[in-house]
Amino acid sequence: MVLLNEIINTVLKNRGKEAVKDIDESFHLRNDIGFDSLDLAELTVRIEAEYNVDIFEDGIVNTVGEIIQKINNK
Amino acid sequence: MDLFYSDISKNQETTWDKLLDDLNNTTKYNPYCYQQDFYSVFKHIILSLLLEKEIVLLDSDFSKEEIQKLTGLTNLNKNIFPIIKSEKQVINNKTELINRIKDTGSNWSMTLFTSGTTGLPKKVVHSFQSITRFVKTTEINKANVWGFAYNPTHMAGIQVFFQALLNGNLIIRLFGLSKEQIFNSIKKFDISNISATPTFYRLLVPYQDSFVCVKRITSGGEKFDEKTADQLKQIFPNAKFTNVYASTEAGSLFAANGNNFFIKPEMEPFVQIQDNELLIHKSLLGKSAFSDSEWYHTGDIVKIVSENPLQFQFVSRKNEMINVGGYKVNPGEVEETIRKIEGIQNVRVFAKSNSVLGNIICCEVVKTSDEIDEVSIRSFLQSKLQEFKIPRIIKFTDKISTTRTGKIKRS
Repeated sequence: MVLLNEIINTVLKNRGKEAVKDIDESFHLRNDIGFDSLDLAELTVRIEAEYNVDIFEDGIVNTVGEIIQKINNK
Repeated sequence: MDLFYSDISKNQETTWDKLLDDLNNTTKYNPYCYQQDFYSVFKHIILSLLLEKEIVLLDSDFSKEEIQKLTGLTNLNKNIFPIIKSEKQVINNKTELINRIKDTGSNWSMTLFTSGTTGLPKKVVHSFQSITRFVKTTEINKANVWGFAYNPTHMAGIQVFFQALLNGNLIIRLFGLSKEQIFNSIKKFDISNISATPTFYRLLVPYQDSFVCVKRITSGGEKFDEKTADQLKQIFPNAKFTNVYASTEAGSLFAANGNNFFIKPEMEPFVQIQDNELLIHKSLLGKSAFSDSEWYHTGDIVKIVSENPLQFQFVSRKNEMINVGGYKVNPGEVEETIRKIEGIQNVRVFAKSNSVLGNIICCEVVKTSDEIDEVSIRSFLQSKLQEFKIPRIIKFTDKISTTRTGKIKRS
């Protein structure tokens, strides 16, 4: 999931935040990565453009693992 | 050679004599004007005035289905009727033509359709008096040459057309031409007046040359940003800049120097500001289906600068505000801020629906410098705008899409 890591770090860098290294599936989007709702909104657009899946379509997604699940289940 | 109209993109030059010939030799009249060629539209309008018959202006890019929805007709040619010679005297010269048009009576009417940002365009019917309310015919205006920078079947274009026609001015097509063709036309014909949307002007700047022939630059339809205005002043050093407020429903109403609009005392009883929205009294509107209430809600959000005399600035369109997670974003404000960045020529801000926030702010940018990228735009905006107003998706493009009226497209 190198690409997903890149997307997450693009969103962080765009906001002037520090990039996060060694992201794993247990990472919580808000608590560990530091996303707020604006970042999450941007994340969905970028993931949709890349994987053609809207990760928040059926409700809240909390962790990196849950995103990967959504992408794999599309 | 006394020219009436020219279009350098088509190598077209039409004299007043040719116009008179065309008018005198026309034997049929169709109230529906559905033509692509600007001259044909102008000739059609003049013919309707001479005959004192209704004219219905249809955009040349309306589809057959749209035409049918708007007019209820499947065949526009069914309404063509022969012109009876006794109804239309032969016109011998330009002065006679203009005087005849000035005498147009109450039988004449013009139907236009608003560009309709939502759903089907609205129908608006104008009288000669309501459509020419702001036309000024004076000796000074007689030498003007007009750069025609609007769609000829839209209200703004009609206003320019009547201003030029009743003063006997030459009209030069600029709408839909390339930047080079526009500047070539200005130079070739010594254009003195241009009226256009800020979007049109933004496509002209920057430019290395300057043109002293242009005496007046008028803009309307959107807020004008200072950066473009400054660049335009370099290209047109002799021009006075005016901003007008006009709508399809009411025609031209107010003028402004810079962005502050002022209301003439005689207009004050017809203007109201309610919850920051500009309301206009129905007596100023064309005859139309929706003017049954006393005040017409323009949908234009204004900010009062002074109460007495009344002065205000336009802030945005009511239906253009983008809701981002409950916060309202004015796309015009975001565009204005982005345009301040060195190396950015034009920008369009729009909403994309989003499962997290309802909407997310996106923008398309035309850049003139390689140093501009997503990160540099964002870091500039971070000190200028609230976080939720900053576009989250920035795309680089060669050209900004505009509406049929020449304003920036929002969706």
